[in-house]
This record gives sequence, C-alpha cells and structure tokens, in this order.
Amino acid sequence: MAVVCVSTLWLPTATVTAESVADAEYPPVRAGQQVVVKLFGAGVGTLDSYGSGVLISKNGHVLTVWNHLVNTGFLRAVVPDGRRFRISVVGTNLEHDVAILKLATHEDETFDFIDWKTTVDVLPGDSVLAFSNMFHVATGNEPVSVVHGVVACTVPLNAGLGRWTFPVKSPVYVLDAITNNSGAAGGLLTSASGEPIGMLGREIRHRDTDMWVNYAVPLQILQPAIAAILDGRRFESTPSMDDDKSVLSDRQLTAGFGITLLPSIVETTPAYIDRIITDSVADAAGLRRGDLVLIVGDDVVRSTSDLRKRLSGFRRGQPITVTVNRNGKLEAIVLRAP
Amino acid sequence: MSFLNGIAGLSLTAVVLSAQMVLADTPNGTVAERQQRRVETIAGIAPSVVCVMPPGGQGGGSGVLISADGYAISNYHVTSGSGDFMKCGLNDGKLYDAVIVGIDPTGDIALIKLLGRDDFPFCTPGDSDRVRAGDEVLALGNPFLLAADFTPTVTYGIVSGVHRYQYPAGTFLEYTDCIQIDASINPGNSGGPLFDIDGRWIGINGRASFEKRGRINSGAAYAISVRQILLFIDHLKSGRIVDHGRTDFTVGTAADGLVEVQEVSEISEAWRRGLRPGDELVAFGDRALTSANDFKTILGIFPAGIRVPLTYRNRDGVHSSTVRLLPLHGFDAAPQLPEERKPKKRPDDPDQEPDERPGSPHAEEAPAIPEQYAHLFKEKKSFANYYFNELHRDRLLNPLQDSLVSSESNKTATWSISWKSPNSGTVGELIVGAEGAGLLTGKNNWYQPIQDQHPSNEAADLWGLLSASLQWNRLFQQDLDLFSEVIYVGAESLVPSGRLVETVFIQDGAIESRWYFSGGSPLPVGVDVVMSAGQDEARIRFDDWQDTTIPSPSRIGIVDVDTEQVRWLTVDAFDVKPRAVRDNTGGREATSQ
Repeated sequence: MAVVCVSTLWLPTATVTAESVADAEYPPVRAGQQVVVKLFGAGVGTLDSYGSGVLISKNGHVLTVWNHLVNTGFLRAVVPDGRRFRISVVGTNLEHDVAILKLATHEDETFDFIDWKTTVDVLPGDSVLAFSNMFHVATGNEPVSVVHGVVACTVPLNAGLGRWTFPVKSPVYVLDAITNNSGAAGGLLTSASGEPIGMLGREIRHRDTDMWVNYAVPLQILQPAIAAILDGRRFESTPSMDDDKSVLSDRQLTAGFGITLLPSIVETTPAYIDRIITDSVADAAGLRRGDLVLIVGDDVVRSTSDLRKRLSGFRRGQPITVTVNRNGKLEAIVLRAP
Repeated sequence: MSFLNGIAGLSLTAVVLSAQMVLADTPNGTVAERQQRRVETIAGIAPSVVCVMPPGGQGGGSGVLISADGYAISNYHVTSGSGDFMKCGLNDGKLYDAVIVGIDPTGDIALIKLLGRDDFPFCTPGDSDRVRAGDEVLALGNPFLLAADFTPTVTYGIVSGVHRYQYPAGTFLEYTDCIQIDASINPGNSGGPLFDIDGRWIGINGRASFEKRGRINSGAAYAISVRQILLFIDHLKSGRIVDHGRTDFTVGTAADGLVEVQEVSEISEAWRRGLRPGDELVAFGDRALTSANDFKTILGIFPAGIRVPLTYRNRDGVHSSTVRLLPLHGFDAAPQLPEERKPKKRPDDPDQEPDERPGSPHAEEAPAIPEQYAHLFKEKKSFANYYFNELHRDRLLNPLQDSLVSSESNKTATWSISWKSPNSGTVGELIVGAEGAGLLTGKNNWYQPIQDQHPSNEAADLWGLLSASLQWNRLFQQDLDLFSEVIYVGAESLVPSGRLVETVFIQDGAIESRWYFSGGSPLPVGVDVVMSAGQDEARIRFDDWQDTTIPSPSRIGIVDVDTEQVRWLTVDAFDVKPRAVRDNTGGREATSQ
C-alpha cells in the first residue's frame, strides 16, 4: 500500500544547533545574586510587604533601607540558597536611610557577603548591574533579578515621597536602568565587573519633575553609618556631609514657619515660596505661594540658603519683617518667629 | 530641566558601553566590531518579525515567522482581538493576509499562518534552557505601533532571571518557566520575538510588571521560553484549542527543603504507580526538582494529554514512572481575556490613535474575509480552526481508509495472529474480529467482547492486548465516520521509546484511544487505549509492518505500565479468515475471568 511521507515535525530534538550557547554563568552576575536576600514583612497601605537586602557579614548581617518593612517588624529573610530566617534590627540611621538587620542563625551558619569597607568609584558613563527582588519575581532559592545600565550622573537628590523627604544630602548615583520598582529598595549596585558600589534606595520622586528617580546611594557614603551601627555607636553626621547648624533645615522651615521653598538646585536658587502650610505662621501673616523673598529685616536675601540662614537668627516670638516681590510689586509682611 | 537632559543624553551611549562591559568575558573585539556584528545580526533576524493587526488596522501586536510556508507565533492576547483572519506586515513593507491556526490560551500563544508566499523568511530557534542571567538579548516588535512601514523596533537588554513563574493574569494566562529581561517592552511588543545576541530565537515577549508608571516598560518583562513553545507548536498546527496539563497529585516544599507529595487522588494513574503522600518527588519531566515552585514551572510547559516521566523516592527507594497529564482547563471555546489584557481600540486613546497618513494600513477600511482564503477557516467547538485538523487527519488516515476500508471483504475478516514465546516455545494466538477478540495461550483462553468490554477480561501478562486489538481491527476495517470522534492531536515524543510521533485521538463509544504514527506513514507505531476511567491504559506498540493483503506488524509490543519496559512478541503468522472469532477457538467457549 502507499505510504505517504509529507509531515515536517518541529520538536525540540530538531532544534539542537551545532553551535551551542556557552554554558557559562557570568561571575559578576553570579556574585551579586549570591549576596542579595529577599525580605518579607508587613505592607502598609500601598507600600509593599517585600523588599531586598545585602549580606554584609559572614554571620548574616544585612544592609537595607530603613523603611516601613523594618519599622513594622515581623520581618523574615530568604537567603540565596532558599533558607529562611527570622531577622532582627541591629540598628538604623535616619540621615542615610539605612538599617542593619541580623539573621537569627545557628552559630555555625555562614553566608556569602560583600566587603562593605571596600568599594570603587564609578563615574557617569560607567556600566553597572543592579540586583534586587523587584516585583517579588523570585521566591525561595530562585536568584534575584539583575538589570544593567550606566551611571547617568552623580548628584544630590531633592526628592521624596509624599511628606517624606529623602534625607541623604551627598551626591548619589542616578542610573539609566529602572531600579525604582516595588521591592527593589535595599538591593545591590555593583560595577560591571562585580565590585559593590551602592545600595538601591527606596522609591522616591524628584521634587521638581515628579519623576520616579532610579538611583543608588554610594557605599562610600554609607560606610560610616554601617560601621557605627555594627559598633553599637550612635552615628553623628560630619559637618561636611550635612548642613551646618546655623541654617534652618528644610524640615525646620516647614514645621516652624510653614514654608516650603524651591529646591536648592544651584547655589543661587532664588528664594521663591513653593508652598504654604495652611494655618501656619506664614499663612497667618499672609505669605503666598509664588512670593519671591527679597529682604528679611534689613538684609537682602539672594538665595534659598540665604533665607534659611536669615530666618534661623530670630528668637521665638520676635517680629520679622519680610519683603517679597508679588506679581511685580513689593510687599512687606510681618511674621512672628515660631 | 538640564538634569533630565543630562540623563537622556547619556543613555543614548549606554547600550554600547554596557554591552561591552557586562559581558567582559566573552570573545569581544572592539566596541565598533561588536556594534557591527550586532547590526548584522539584526539585519538577519528583522525580516522574520511580524506586525500583527486586526483587519480594521487598529491596535495590534507582534509575531515571528517560524517556517517558509508562513507559520508564525504570536501571543493569544494579541490574536484574540484580531478575529480569524488578520493582516500581517513584514519589514519588506508589504502587508499579508493571515489566518488563525491554533491557540494555547493558558500559555498565551497563538499560531497563525501568513498567506500568499511559500518563501517567507523565518527565524532559527535556540535552546532557551541554556539561557543564563546576564546574557545579552534583543527584543524585536512593534511597540506603540510605531512603524508604519513594519520595520521592527529593536530594544537591547540582558536576561534578569530564568525559569521565572508569573501567576495567571485574571483567570488563565499563566507564564511558567519564562525568561525575565530588562530590555524595554511596551504595549505592541506583545507576541514579538526575543533573540539571543547571536540572533537565535529564544522566546516570545508577552508580559511585563506594569505598575505605578502605567502600562509602559518597567525594566521587568517576561518572555515565554522557546522550549515551551516548541512543545506546543505541532499541537497548535492541529487547529485545536490546546490545553495545558495538570497532575492529579499536589506537592509542597517540606521543612527540609525537599519537594514532598501532599495529596494523591486514589483513582489516579500516579497512585497506581505507587506515589503516596509524604513521598519525595525527585524529578518531573526530565528535570530535577529543588522546590515546589520548580514543579509548577516545569508542569506549565507541557500540553495536556502527553505522557511525562517522574521520579519519586519513598522508604523502599527511588522509583521512575510516567503519568499522562490531564487537561487543565478543558476549553471548548476560545476564552475571554481579562478586561485589562484586551487590545484597546478606543479612538480617544492617544497611544492607539489611527494613523491617517496616506497609504498607511492603519487607515484602511475594515474587515471582509479575503475571498480566496475563506476556505482556510472552519469553525467548530473546541477548535481554533477546524480546517487544519481535517487537513492533518486526512493526510494521515486517508491512505489507510482508501486501501483497506474500501474493501468489503476486509470489513468482515477475522485476524489470527500467532507468536512463539521466547522462553518456553509455546505458541500464543490472538484472534480479532468485529464482535470480539480472543487470546489462546495454551493454558488459558481469554475473550473480550466488543460490547461490554471489561478490564478483567484481559490476561494479566498481556494486559490490554485484547482491547487494543479490537481498536486496531476497527481502525483498519471501519469508516472513520462510524467513530464518535477522530481528532488529529499533533506531534509528541512517544513514551518509552522517545520516538517522534504524530497522534490521532479516536473516541469509540466509551473507549478512548490515541494512535501514534511516524514518518508520515499511515501504519501506526502504537496505540494507547483507555478502557474505563480509573484503569491503566492498554499500551501496545507495533514494529516492522509487512506488506501483506492487510498490512501486519512483525512484532507486537506490550508496554508494562510499572516498569515502562516493552515486551515484544514476534509474529509467526498473520492470517485473515472470513470467520467469526468464536469459530476460531476450536468450538470451545473462550474463558473470561
């Protein structure tokens, strides 16, 4: 009888190509995945119940951001090989937005970790890899996600989320990779060759553009805070890192006077009032959004930092005469120092 | 803002820099050389990339050609909004008609066929199992439907993770064992191919973690692996709505990290093979398991109805067996997509605004099935396009029907098949006719009537042979129309031989059988018969067909369901007698036990 043979089958057996993909893992990728832990805790409102952290000691110390996950407790960590641990908070630091956690391990348990004391400088244009458990994609022993990009620039960030302001004043790495994702905060940034260089920060928007910022805090900046927490010391920021005490911080200005200024992007950012808190001192005195502050008392104000410095010089209850440019006209307004 | 300009300016150079530095340990060359290679690779793969659009030209997605005769893969969530016929653009700037062939709604895969040429450019598949985190990848497609001339958009990235599992979106679109990438994936990329840096096809981009930024790239997108797609392609060619598989046992991760069997249905095949709650599942589908997630990931790549190997450990040791996967959803019609996955066609959506440029396909007047292709679509329950099922069924079975069934004398003939036992030399004889099948082994006689078949009528050491022989006899001597259903299933690997076969499913009253054909021959290499639910299949294999009046196999094999070993009987004689089965038992009543 006739036997037909017209079928063409296309199954995996037929697809083996002569030239196969090299069965290699990239050491920098492997190394990054070996030190990032998956954190699970309690979510708050729209905030996620998961995050990332980086192992920084062989005994199971974990570096992460000091966010709601750390604050609400009930924290669990899954290390890269899939083991699960309870985890406790060793210490936190407000100015760097970091927390150090410790896995509840048995005595003899050890882990791969990064040497947080050694880091390298990267410049705009340098390639980087970012490791995190963004979107909670990996569970158990599955390796965390890795994305690639370059350092776009190194700048101080005027950013935050809602009323929370990103506290780090030193320049951070802004990235062209999308790292500003759910659960990515606390992840690891490495150079293309695998050296640890920073920690992915929490999800924030830039105050000027309202854009989500992809960034990482350089390990260099975090080192003193990590050292202090591990030593059990309270970390005091150095003057070079933070503003000097004779200047009102943005937070004090908002809390006391009820004023928010334009972000101080350049040295001479004009002292425009960006926002007035309802029922605050400034509101009661009649200051408005958009007013440009020109004179405080007898002193000419040239910039936002100038204004913060002037306002810090008054005692509680003292009258302050402020001259503003409002729609092209000068107006003098009297405030009571809070 | 200068701040943002700075970022944008830098990111233009980012691709080149990171390509060089991320893969510092690959054979590289200069940046310029690598760039040149990449340009050449893209030039080579771009012709196979398809822009898939509904006939009206609004909305749409991407796809990739896999053969010169026009078969192309896309996402189910792309084609489901496009109707049975669609328009497809290639980078030659031309628009082709295409027809739906098969769909896999769970896996979010659709097979379509571009029409009008037999020399379409097509891609070369790679091995997605060998993809590693850090590999460079190229995603091609038509994001935001940017290309009016169908030149695909190329985005570059690295693999962020492999063997990822993404929970069903809505009710059924489940991504298992997928490839996570950081290349930009946006609406319109759906259904488009993911290539490795050497231009081998490794996945279909179909999903991304869209969140606070809205439905745009978030740096986490997912491609369905080519391995999974290849397991489905030949099933999709059958024109069916192809279902994924499920098992009737469940697993969990035990405290010690092992994959532990939790529940096993007591009427399941797995139970009959000895699997019990508390056993450790060591491997499934030829992959070692390290977590319950692994199991879910691997199970998700298999179509329903195929037989999959598993290995488990209990206190007696390690055991290997196979189980047939059950249907996961049992769709009898193309399922509705969850609202958010439906292609948007609102004219007020700025991203979907119809392009009014003259000559643009976006501006074309809608539908109307192209007349010369109308015969390429047939609607039927449980099928995406019944035309293709008939096509393959007839190709496989018509030669058999023409040469055997057309002969009236064949229809009433009784077969007598005898063999020698390799050990004792005793002779066994199988007698098969229209009313029943009998087995004479020297010591005992067995008889299986065609009406009222029962597993207890089968000989223990040749289990299922009678029931399977009855089906064999009917396939060779009966008009296909007399069966309740004859469906071309597709291609798969036959267990235990691993032989590549095409499968035809036949429903004959309550009896289900799966016939296996190889190399396009209408003479089967095997059949698995289900006599009744809760009973093991009769699994019979045929070897070395002889060109006798009625073709006869030189060897008949019975697969031992526990050991997966085939016991071969060497056929001594195959006689065709125009008599009834009981006459051939020498006047004795065949005993039935």
